[in-house]
Amino acid sequence: MQWFDALVQGILLGGMYAQYALGMALMFGVMRIVNISHGDLVILLSLIGISIATAWGLGPLPVLVVLVPLAVLMGWVLQKAVLNRVVGSDPLPSLIATFGLSIALQNLMLQIWSANSRSLPGHGIESQSLEIGGIYVGLLPLIVLAVATGLTWCLDLTLKRTRFGRALRAASADVEAAAMTGINPRAVYAMATAAAVGILGFAAVFQALRSTVAPADGPAQLIYAFEAVIIGGMGTVWGAFVGSMVLGISQAIGFRIDPGFGVLAGHIVFLAVLASRPQGLFGKALS
Amino acid sequence: MSAIPYAATEVPEVLVQRQTPSGRIAMALAVLAMIGVAVMPLWASTGTIRSVLVLCCYIAVAQMWNLLAGYAGLVSVGQHAFMGAAGYALFVLAQTYGVDPFVAVFLSLLVPAALAVPIYLLLHRLDGPYFSIGTWVVAEVFRLTASNLPLVNSGAGMSLRVMKDYSAFERNIAMSLLCAGMLLVTLGGSYWLLRSRFGLALIAMRDNPVAAASQGVNVVRLRFLIYVASAVGCGLVGAIYFMAQLRITPGSAFDPMWANVAIFIVMVGGIGSIEGVLIGSLIFFIADRWFGEYGATYFVVLGLMTLLVALYARTGVWGLISKRWDAPWFPIQRKLVDSYR
Amino acid sequence: MTAVLSTHGLVARYGDFQALYGVDIELHQGEAVALIGANGAGKSTLLRSIMGLLPVGREMVLLHGEPVGGTATDRMVQKGVAIVPEGRRLFTGMSVEDNLRVAIDQAARMGAKGGWTLPRLHRLFPILKEKARAPVQSLSGGQQQMVAIGRALLCQPRVLLCDEISLGLAPKVIREIYAALPEIRATGTAMIVVEQDVGLARSASDRLYCMLEGRVTLTGRSAEITREQIGKAYFGAGHAVV
Ligand SMILES: Nc1ncnc2c1ncn2[C@@H]1O[C@H](COP(=O)(O)OP(=O)(O)O)[C@@H](O)[C@H]1O
Ligand SMILES: [Mg+2]
Repeated sequence: MQWFDALVQGILLGGMYAQYALGMALMFGVMRIVNISHGDLVILLSLIGISIATAWGLGPLPVLVVLVPLAVLMGWVLQKAVLNRVVGSDPLPSLIATFGLSIALQNLMLQIWSANSRSLPGHGIESQSLEIGGIYVGLLPLIVLAVATGLTWCLDLTLKRTRFGRALRAASADVEAAAMTGINPRAVYAMATAAAVGILGFAAVFQALRSTVAPADGPAQLIYAFEAVIIGGMGTVWGAFVGSMVLGISQAIGFRIDPGFGVLAGHIVFLAVLASRPQGLFGKALS
Repeated sequence: MSAIPYAATEVPEVLVQRQTPSGRIAMALAVLAMIGVAVMPLWASTGTIRSVLVLCCYIAVAQMWNLLAGYAGLVSVGQHAFMGAAGYALFVLAQTYGVDPFVAVFLSLLVPAALAVPIYLLLHRLDGPYFSIGTWVVAEVFRLTASNLPLVNSGAGMSLRVMKDYSAFERNIAMSLLCAGMLLVTLGGSYWLLRSRFGLALIAMRDNPVAAASQGVNVVRLRFLIYVASAVGCGLVGAIYFMAQLRITPGSAFDPMWANVAIFIVMVGGIGSIEGVLIGSLIFFIADRWFGEYGATYFVVLGLMTLLVALYARTGVWGLISKRWDAPWFPIQRKLVDSYR
Repeated sequence: MTAVLSTHGLVARYGDFQALYGVDIELHQGEAVALIGANGAGKSTLLRSIMGLLPVGREMVLLHGEPVGGTATDRMVQKGVAIVPEGRRLFTGMSVEDNLRVAIDQAARMGAKGGWTLPRLHRLFPILKEKARAPVQSLSGGQQQMVAIGRALLCQPRVLLCDEISLGLAPKVIREIYAALPEIRATGTAMIVVEQDVGLARSASDRLYCMLEGRVTLTGRSAEITREQIGKAYFGAGHAVV
């Protein structure tokens, strides 16, 4: 029972990680870029959300409605001002640029919000729970998982069925050929990053509702997103989702073994996957 | 057997020139500086020695990162993993097992060397930027492991009490010699490597790995060797730094601050050159002294500077200088000059 | 009559290496021009320069008299120039239909008008309808080339640049593909066809340019140029005529 409970908690935790991981999978798939400030953007959005909620007395849903468009705008600006100048076959410029941005953002947040942990008042939903098959499951984690599933599904359909999705996949397969077909790669990139950071708007609200956030929390978020993407297999949206579940379950089970072992268990599963199946659970093996 | 007349195979006589006047001056200054560091107890206070030691650590770590990112194309953000590993190894050997600390400093280097091999074999499977985050995860794994490992006193950390057996003056002498040795190994070693037959391969690899591979450079093996060498270099820095600190905890041993410092120094100073590392280290060291008290604001500025360098001035300060004046301090390219008979 | 597309003293470099030394060519309404030359002569570089894939001076390329040199590739497509690139460059991992849809999407976005639709393309290359759902990398070389041509046509070009569309294909497949060119020309699309096979190049074109080491060494009507002239222009003076 105890282990079944850990499994369920792990899946629910995976719902949170999926919200970080989707955007990273999208950006890497399209541009071969990893944004090191990925986690810091989540925290920045969370802190903005918390400030908005306190200043205007808003509930979680209105905060989400404000935050997601703001996140989309941030992503678009990030691409136009920074990332479009560093995309290319050499990974160094984009890594260094986003690394610098990450340091700057963390310390900026530290100055504005201080080092304290904060959370978003949930007006009661954070404490409600349901009994399913003899174990209690929090309502909020269930909502998080449902939203993560919905986001994954939407993103997958968008990539497969829409004009934007086809343009994205084309640019990801061969940028130059995409341009020869009339695609403006920079415009497509800007939309991809806007979508990726937009998803972080959801993550920001749920992170701040589920637990607390502090300016220094970003790097951990980045690492979880990264591990989920690699475990699942690079470049597939559902892979990132399943990778998040595997990471969540590993951490939850590790935590049951020893509270100090939770995060480490996730890292170990990540390294084990890397050792035994480097293309990830869902990736295709390179021939 | 007939003698082949020499004239038939005569090659135009040229000299390969590798030293330049600016290089000779810089080399003389570098040797003087190294001697100066080695004999610090004769001229410096304990406080000064500590400051110089920190500066030397910055230079050495930055050069190790430069070797990885600037030549091997491996952008690591987790080299502090090896600093902490060697630091802990030193403490365990000297404090727990009673090995002489000045022997343990060198023995502890076996640990980063042994760890770097499997880690590289795992991480090199990750594509470009993912490799970087992978190195970070490894550093986190080390930190969490140390926090849970009774052998290293878990989260509480360790103290190097055996150092009390030596007087302050003896410690100063030892730290000064170790510092000079560290510079010699990391900077001198890199310079030697770049001028050796590996040097051309390394520079070719930096400029274009695909073309280098097609010209017979074993890029995979060279990258592996550089990764291990850099791990050992970082380990040396870690062992010396924590020996001077006399205390180590998981948080200080595996502090990502070192990655920030190395990246800032190399990017601002100028990637792919030893000169850049020296310039960057001085800039950072001075900035740290003058503006460190501004805390977060100071780091916001450092972060933004790193960002701006990546966007607009990828060759850093040294790149701007060397575009204007062709006077390398540590020349590594070979020049063919006509010789007079 | 001004040319649809022309280059004037076109110079192009890859870093320090100069690949084109002042190339002048012209393409008129509804015309098919062949571009021949040995490997490395600069044919692909010329097409890539026109498409904005290499930095060139603005006045070096004129489209309907308007200077367009160095315009971004996607803007060139919008202006009605499409390319079937060397090596096909299809979007691997996507189905045949999705490859073609990318072009349809972009043409619709730009409001480009022209006669090319998916059904019409399917009439031209029926196999593309049959294989619509197949991943593009599972197709044979000839079929892939048809996708590449189809993708360029769905951009609704007024000028079509084809780079070695016969490369690596069996003679029967080459005939099949070249048989489609007259229909494409019938829509009023002007074409530049890069081709290694001189016979094929002559029969598929009105005029012909021969390049050698980054320069045009011969130009004239395809039907009138002699084998000797081509031989000289192809290999440079002093070489034996083959
Ligand atoms: N990406 C490139 N970088 C450097 N040189 C190139 C590149 N592409 C082509 N070249 C050189 O430019 C010249 C012309 O090449 P190209 O236009 O491809 O010739 P063609 O298409 O006529 O065979 C050749 O000497 C070739 O080696
Ligand atoms: Mg070619």
